[in-house]
Amino acid sequence: MPLILHGLPPLHWALAGVGIAGITLALLFLANRRLGVSTGFEDICSLVLPLPYFKRAAVTSGRGWRLPLLAGLVLGGFLSALLGGGWQPTWALGLFDQAIGLGPAGKLAWMFVGGLFIGFGTRLAGGCTSGHGIFGLANFELPSLVTTIAFLAAGIVTTQIVYRVLFPLAGL
Amino acid sequence: MTLLYLILGTVFGFILSRSGAADYGFIQGMFLFTEFQLYGIIAVAVLITAPGIWLIKQRGRTLLGQRLSIEMKPFHGGNLAGGILFGIGWSIAGMCPGPIMVNIGEGKIYALAALAGALVGASLLGWFYSALQRPFGLPPLRVGTGEG
Repeated sequence: MPLILHGLPPLHWALAGVGIAGITLALLFLANRRLGVSTGFEDICSLVLPLPYFKRAAVTSGRGWRLPLLAGLVLGGFLSALLGGGWQPTWALGLFDQAIGLGPAGKLAWMFVGGLFIGFGTRLAGGCTSGHGIFGLANFELPSLVTTIAFLAAGIVTTQIVYRVLFPLAGL
Repeated sequence: MTLLYLILGTVFGFILSRSGAADYGFIQGMFLFTEFQLYGIIAVAVLITAPGIWLIKQRGRTLLGQRLSIEMKPFHGGNLAGGILFGIGWSIAGMCPGPIMVNIGEGKIYALAALAGALVGASLLGWFYSALQRPFGLPPLRVGTGEG
């Protein structure tokens, strides 16, 4: 299956896995940081919201490294598009366009709702795919095992409902 | 150091972008069991990171000799409940937190709405933390649910 991005072929999964492990270990070995992206959302919130929750030392002390990491993620996506066929704004959404087919306004609403679940859920769980799923599992942490099983199971159930019940597509 | 984080983030973002981890179709394929790609990526990443962390712990210090400190995540009811909510969101948006940023960089306009939702969602958690503390058995505010 090609990527939505310029229909590029994906990297081999083993290569991508090795690369992500390399990033995780470099972050720990060079900078004494445990990989985790979702706390970066709190760091962004902490820049504008004067709530006690966002004034915690755990949040404010992480801004110096998480905000540049998040900026890097955006830059990495930008370079990937640029080098892979040129950067241009797009609404393309692959499978979603074939099976659900909402226009721009519908996509924004759909994604906003998804984002709400992601932001609230990851922060309630204390981490996401990177912090729990990669680092936490690799460090044998029980909370990470529970969270990872929960988000994989919930993702499977939700997608099965969306694409096999609500918007079934022939050939899936 | 800021530059180091920016570079690591950029390489991470590039890999997420090109591997399918930031691709709506590959995420749905993972949850539909029609694409093995994401399971392979996560499994390899964990299988290599685990002995790597062990080795770094054996050394006990970073490259430059700083004492290693890995803050363990606290165990609480939010792990299960939050994990379920996040999984629903991951399926709906086809992105987890890192890939939201990557998709914005790629020029996928709708990813901006996912980021807006995620920031509002994180704000709601912060706003109602004290009310959620008892039902989910969350740690004291100072500790939080776990950084990551």
